[in-house]
Amino acid sequence: MHTVKWVISLSIFWLLLSGYLKPLLLGFGVASVALVIVVLNRMQKVDNEPQEFGTWLQTIRYIPWLLGQILSSSLRVTKLVWGSPTEVSPSLAKINVEAVPEARRTLYANSITLTPGTLSIDLEGEEVTVHALEQSSIDELKEGYIATKITDIWGDNK
Amino acid sequence: MLLLLDIISGILLVTGVFFGLSGAVGVFKLPNFFTRVHAASVTDSIAVILIIGGLLLQTTFGINIAKLLFILGFLLITSPTASHALAKSARHGGLLTMSELEKGDQQEKTPK
Repeated sequence: MHTVKWVISLSIFWLLLSGYLKPLLLGFGVASVALVIVVLNRMQKVDNEPQEFGTWLQTIRYIPWLLGQILSSSLRVTKLVWGSPTEVSPSLAKINVEAVPEARRTLYANSITLTPGTLSIDLEGEEVTVHALEQSSIDELKEGYIATKITDIWGDNK
Repeated sequence: MLLLLDIISGILLVTGVFFGLSGAVGVFKLPNFFTRVHAASVTDSIAVILIIGGLLLQTTFGINIAKLLFILGFLLITSPTASHALAKSARHGGLLTMSELEKGDQQEKTPK
């Protein structure tokens, strides 16, 4: 079942990238999909962490919210850049990520980095080290506005 | 309808370019390494989203839409990874530790 999902999504991916429907090129596509599947199955034995597909619905709920966050924090950083760049209050803090499901911590750290003004530096154990342009961004992160959103959306299936 | 799309796409492109420029200016104006990474991440995130959003409205419906969306997706995954790698290696290289934050900032803030 797992392999079937990968075959389907890889084939769609290949088709969208190439866009050619000539037999020769389709043959190459089939060959490359087969190669990737073989490699995936071999790697499976080594790391034993099946790469689950996130359900689309959840991702679709998360992305617009994240885009909104990116927009608002971009405006803040831009204001700082054009206004008075020396008035920044750079700060570093460790933020607890126990609340975030383990499989979503990468997403969490990536979201922190993706929103301008905050930058995740390290993810060790239960804590992510964050550098922020302003102290207020750290306070917001500590209140966990990204974390609660992620647990709201993905909390039910770890 | 087409004119409307062109106008929206133009607005998106221009604001995207503005944010890209702001990021570049920020890289020069902000005081130290870590704050500069923040400025660069403006270019990484919002400028990319707006510019590709503008380009999406310019293309006809078809395979190019999918390709642009792929580019957007990959950029949104890889650029924070790059910033993270940069910051992490800077920290492990000893540029900034928790206790040194105050001191390090003051050193870098001294007048040019």
